[in-house]
Amino acid sequence: MASQGHCLRYEGCNFFRQRLVLATLSGRPVKILKIRVKDESPGIRDFEASFIRLMDKITNGSRIEINETGTSLYYQPGLLFGGTLDHDCSVQRSIGYYLESLICLAPFMKHPLRITLRGVTNDQIDPSVDTLKATAIPLLKKFGIDGEYFELKIVKRGMPPGGGGEIFFSCPVRKVLRPVQMTDPGKIKRIRGVAYSVRVSPQIGNRIVESARSILNNFLPDIYIYTDHLKGANSGKSPGFGLSLVAETTEGYVISAELASNPQGQGAAILPEDLGKNCAKLLLEEIYRGGCVDSINQSLTLLLMTLGQQDVSKVLLGPLSPYTIEFLRHLRSFFQIMFKIESKTFEERKGADKVLMTCVGVGFSNLSKTIK
Amino acid sequence: MLIDASFGFEMETFEFLNICQVHGFPKIMGVLTHLDSFKNNKQLRKTKKRLKHRFWTEVYQGAKLFYLSGMVYGEYQKQEIRNLGRFISVMKFRPLVWQTSHPYVLADRMEDLTNPEEIRLNPKTDRKVSLYGYLRGAHLKNKSQVHLPGVGDFALSEVSFLPDPCPLPDKLKKRSLIEKEKTIYSPFSGVGGVVYDKDAVYIDLGPNYSLQEQQRAEDPSHELVQSLVSTNVTIDSKMSTSKVSLFTDSKPLGMEDVEKTEFEMPTEERVIDAESGRVRRKAVFKNVQNEESDEDDADEESDDDEEEEEEEVNDDDDNEDDNEVDDLLEDNDDLEDTAEYNGRRATKKLAAEEPKKPDTMEMPAFADSDDDLENSEEEEIQDSDGDPEDSEDESPDEEEEEMEDSDDEVVVRKPTAALDSGNCTGEDAISSDSDTDEEPPKDMDEGSEDLPEEDAVDEEDLLKEDEDYMEDNDASEDTVGALKWKEDLKKKAAETFLRHQQSVTNLRKLVYGTVVENEDNEEDDDNKEALGGLFHVSRPDKESKRAANALDCSKFAVDGPRDWEDDEVMGSIRDCFVTGQWEDDKDAEKLLKEDEELYGDFEDLETGEVHKGKPKSQEDESEEDDDEAEDDDDKDEDKVDPTEDEETRQRIEKKKKLKERFNMEYDDGDADATYFDDLKEEMQKQADLNRAEFEDQDDETRVQYEGFRPGMYLRMEIENVPCEFVTNFDPQYPLILGGLGNSEGNVGYIQLRIKKHRWHKRILKTRDPLICSLGWRRFQTVPLYYIEDHNGRHRLLKYTPEHMHCGATIWGPITPQGTGFLAVQSVSSTTADFRIAATGVVLDLDKSITVVKKLKLIGYPCKIFKNTAFVKGMFSSALEVAKFEGASLRTVSGIRGQIKKALRTPEGGFRATFEDKLLMSDIVFLRTWYPVTVPAFYNPVTSLLKPVGQKDSWTGMKTVGQLRHELGIKLKQPKDSLYKPIVRKEKRFNQLRIPRSLQKALPFRSKPKNMERKGKVTKDKLRPAVIREPHEKKIMALLDALGTVNKYKKEKAKQKHRQQRTEFKKQKEAEEEIKRKKRKEANKRRYSLLGQKEKTRKRSSLAGKSQN
Repeated sequence: MASQGHCLRYEGCNFFRQRLVLATLSGRPVKILKIRVKDESPGIRDFEASFIRLMDKITNGSRIEINETGTSLYYQPGLLFGGTLDHDCSVQRSIGYYLESLICLAPFMKHPLRITLRGVTNDQIDPSVDTLKATAIPLLKKFGIDGEYFELKIVKRGMPPGGGGEIFFSCPVRKVLRPVQMTDPGKIKRIRGVAYSVRVSPQIGNRIVESARSILNNFLPDIYIYTDHLKGANSGKSPGFGLSLVAETTEGYVISAELASNPQGQGAAILPEDLGKNCAKLLLEEIYRGGCVDSINQSLTLLLMTLGQQDVSKVLLGPLSPYTIEFLRHLRSFFQIMFKIESKTFEERKGADKVLMTCVGVGFSNLSKTIK
Repeated sequence: MLIDASFGFEMETFEFLNICQVHGFPKIMGVLTHLDSFKNNKQLRKTKKRLKHRFWTEVYQGAKLFYLSGMVYGEYQKQEIRNLGRFISVMKFRPLVWQTSHPYVLADRMEDLTNPEEIRLNPKTDRKVSLYGYLRGAHLKNKSQVHLPGVGDFALSEVSFLPDPCPLPDKLKKRSLIEKEKTIYSPFSGVGGVVYDKDAVYIDLGPNYSLQEQQRAEDPSHELVQSLVSTNVTIDSKMSTSKVSLFTDSKPLGMEDVEKTEFEMPTEERVIDAESGRVRRKAVFKNVQNEESDEDDADEESDDDEEEEEEEVNDDDDNEDDNEVDDLLEDNDDLEDTAEYNGRRATKKLAAEEPKKPDTMEMPAFADSDDDLENSEEEEIQDSDGDPEDSEDESPDEEEEEMEDSDDEVVVRKPTAALDSGNCTGEDAISSDSDTDEEPPKDMDEGSEDLPEEDAVDEEDLLKEDEDYMEDNDASEDTVGALKWKEDLKKKAAETFLRHQQSVTNLRKLVYGTVVENEDNEEDDDNKEALGGLFHVSRPDKESKRAANALDCSKFAVDGPRDWEDDEVMGSIRDCFVTGQWEDDKDAEKLLKEDEELYGDFEDLETGEVHKGKPKSQEDESEEDDDEAEDDDDKDEDKVDPTEDEETRQRIEKKKKLKERFNMEYDDGDADATYFDDLKEEMQKQADLNRAEFEDQDDETRVQYEGFRPGMYLRMEIENVPCEFVTNFDPQYPLILGGLGNSEGNVGYIQLRIKKHRWHKRILKTRDPLICSLGWRRFQTVPLYYIEDHNGRHRLLKYTPEHMHCGATIWGPITPQGTGFLAVQSVSSTTADFRIAATGVVLDLDKSITVVKKLKLIGYPCKIFKNTAFVKGMFSSALEVAKFEGASLRTVSGIRGQIKKALRTPEGGFRATFEDKLLMSDIVFLRTWYPVTVPAFYNPVTSLLKPVGQKDSWTGMKTVGQLRHELGIKLKQPKDSLYKPIVRKEKRFNQLRIPRSLQKALPFRSKPKNMERKGKVTKDKLRPAVIREPHEKKIMALLDALGTVNKYKKEKAKQKHRQQRTEFKKQKEAEEEIKRKKRKEANKRRYSLLGQKEKTRKRSSLAGKSQN
């Protein structure tokens, strides 16, 4: 072929997933150089290798070249294939690391994706599966991705460092996405959450709930936090506990926050009460940032807006996270999409300044889907 | 679509219709011509009807067919053409999916921007060209991939928009256009005489159109035009030549005359040269080629010849060659022709452009045409490759002339560094203006400022200034001129810059602005982003470098956690909750209060219910809690009684709302609100939003957000175009620039549903190359045909089915599913047959294929046990066997079996079980499927790269059959696939012998019946033959004869009797029928009588009763 879309080059391992995901969606090859060149252990890490393997599994015809030291990577995307798969994620990062990207790609597969991921379900770095289940799934529904098989199930929980968790994610396939206008976040009407604990005393869950409520009750009475205590085979390999909170608005948008205990043998033990309170405060912080989408899903929202029809989509976000900002830049280089960014200031008691993001979709259509 | 009625439909017509059908059917209107060739009225009507019906079956029932009655004086009648135009303009077009989802441009101008030095060094070097045209279809993004049909795939290196060169007239409410506004548009025709470039506007004077039309009918020059048409010149030139307007009384112009006249034009320039006395620098020519400024011939000719002035505003690109030619020729011809030329010139007026530039000069309309004429005449000049040397030689003179001529207009030529003024393309700015920090934004703004505005004054001022400047410095004009140009813009630029700063928030700068440089570094050098120009950026920030290897996490950490137990902090998000304070228009309590104020005891069933009892909406009810108490206080304080004005306003609003709701409910709400309606409404809403969203912004910012809108006039630069595109450029062929979606630039396997066209004579063979038209692209590829079995297997076919759909897999460009597909076997040859071989649609795209063909593995039993046998010769190793363990087998005699396990010896042998005992003579089959590979052959049709005149002779890969035919190689059949008479030995079976003991046990029925042979009849049992006497013989003969006669008689009598009987029966039946009828009638009468009697009886009895 005359022009294979010019290859994009990047340096460094940061925003690794974004780049691969966008490359896959746009069909442009990408080259990432100088991955941890100055590091003591240069090259890609296990979790990145695992991510690449996952990309290879869900696509067909991808070409991936990694040099000997692992410091440079060339990725020529194939077509998203999907199907029933399973993947063992690296325990260095939680499943959320992989799932975030999968959620971006899943609606554009050839066959509906039904994937089982194994590894760490909750950790302190990445968004946990609970949070993604509570936030990303309703978000996708706003874009018209919905259906019988649209589910995210936590089969087993696994905490770091041992892992041993398992989730099941299935997502239907869409040809086109719906444009969205998410400009009015509404008001928070209820707060839900999950306090999970594995291989620790079942009381811990209740203690977390109590403490979290003590903070949140100042704002809202409708709070219900489930305690999820898993035992036996479903509890993974390491002990741990944590809390994931979700605030739901009258317009159906969700804002989340979460906190997990320190992994076994790392750092000081955390009191469940502290964890509950801190998590509640994090949620308030997130609410303070506000917008129709919480900070972890900003990039997902923007991506889905970009991949819409050639229609205007709008979304009101809180302050843009660094990840999102980089994502916007990437969107521009991969899709030539630029967002109109307007800053909105609300009256005094509605938290931080909001950002209204507007864009025209690129008219993306799922090239993988078969028509009969 | 034009149909010659005197001839009927042509094959091409149908081919065209089929092409249309495949790529989405636009509305088609047929136009029948040559109707005047029918002398017989009846025949005419018949033909019309016949053609109409055929057309309808092909297009759709009731498709419009327009009849042109014929030519009058070699022209169509004006009224008819006008009607036709009107019909065409009111046709409704169904939006085609492909066109609405892909941007495309029908180029109307092509310029070569390659550095002439490079061309000089290597004439075959890849070119950089710019294309101009109106964007249609969808939004076009900068840097996106495009396909030029006939050339190939490219990435747009730069896109900018220009003001519409052919704008609509201001006032729309008119029945017809005034003459001045009548403009005609066609590709490569030098749009309306005005050539817009990034940084300048050039005017080529179109002569008055009406004048010309009148003349054309009566003027012999029309013939000239006709003759020109056949020459191989640009449409551009044709157009301008066709505009020749002459005095009506002038003698007919021949071809030569025209040429001469045209050469004069430069002469006049010379005269004027002396007057204005300006000089231009030499070096320009080289530089000019790099620049984007466009040369144009803007000219004016006033009525009086003496004050005729001209301007040659320059062009940098290919036209330049032409100009040189002018000059060359002009030198020879000028003197003799001047007078004649002047005398003949007709008055010309500026057309639509005039109001914009009142003081621009006109120039003979031949400016372009002559060049091109020469091009056609002198072949050596045609080739622009050869010219660089010439150009260098000639440039001084020409340049000088040009400069001197122009009073008001100048083409601003800037060095390459200064090509930045593209409207919105920031990358230029970045690349060119690294010298100063402030400049990039200015340049950007400048471009956007003056060009879109079409502000002639601005433009001219600029130009003038520039000119002046140039006059001042001859030598260093290039560089300084450019600077001056920029300086001039500073003021405006600063303004716009400020404005931008205000409108665009810091955030945008944060996201896009500051990192542009950084990203550009990361990407290829030429791959810079469009918007960066707004903000000049210091070198890559260290932050990003540091972050390059940071943790890849989407979480947004909170840096300084607040104390959420503090009241003040808590207050900052209080209103985010339903328990907080609501906006005025949503606060249920307030609304309720207003309601009460306005309507007193008004009770609305819907809202009233909700608002009545509780101050909050229903959702809140459940959540209301102790928090409410404290909040309520706040609310009460906040509530202020609305003033009078506000009240009335609100009341009106309220009423409006109610009315709307009423309308919704009672007008159409219940009856027609189908899913479809909802969908339509939703789409409408979205469309409104799309329109409204960016409406208030200026074009420059707008294109950054949404890309270039359809309807804009664009200038697009493309690099690395094959040199043949430029050297063999033929404006007679349309040049389309089709935008591609994401990943549509890649290649992969495409699965199609395909059907051989019913009119194509031959079926298609797998692996025979086909030329396909798919999306924008035309390419040759090698298809594999397959059919889907019931179990979903794709089985390879050797040939397409005759009348059935089948699948096809090709290696080709990724194209969205549902796109139409059309294939021909050859584009070069014209055959009498229908050329469209197949049509189809894209089903699926993939990077691997699943087509399989049948593979039969054969083995022979080497040892046979009861139902088990050892089979050898099917595989070559135990590993292969292992792969097929459990596979089902079959023998020639139909015994089924299964592979069990590999044997040690012989190698590749295996044990298999069967449902019955095999024979050694049996052959064992294993039916498997073997995946086939599609050859990765994708050969775009590059017809536009062919030399002029041979563009329709593109041939791609030939089929094996063609090659064999051409080279005279006969196919050598393998010996065993030749047919030969089958010789079969007759099989002899042994007799069936049943043991005696078994025979005894069998029931009688099944026992072999071995009848003993009859013995010979003994002599005594034989009866002697009777030999009669002659007399006896006679008697016998007589008796025989009598018997025969008797028999015959009897038969006859019997027949007669039968006949009589049937007749009698018939008679009887008829009588019976009559009798029955009579009886029926009698009965009827009787019954009616009875009935009447009964009635009267009843009536009388009733009457009696009543009387009683």
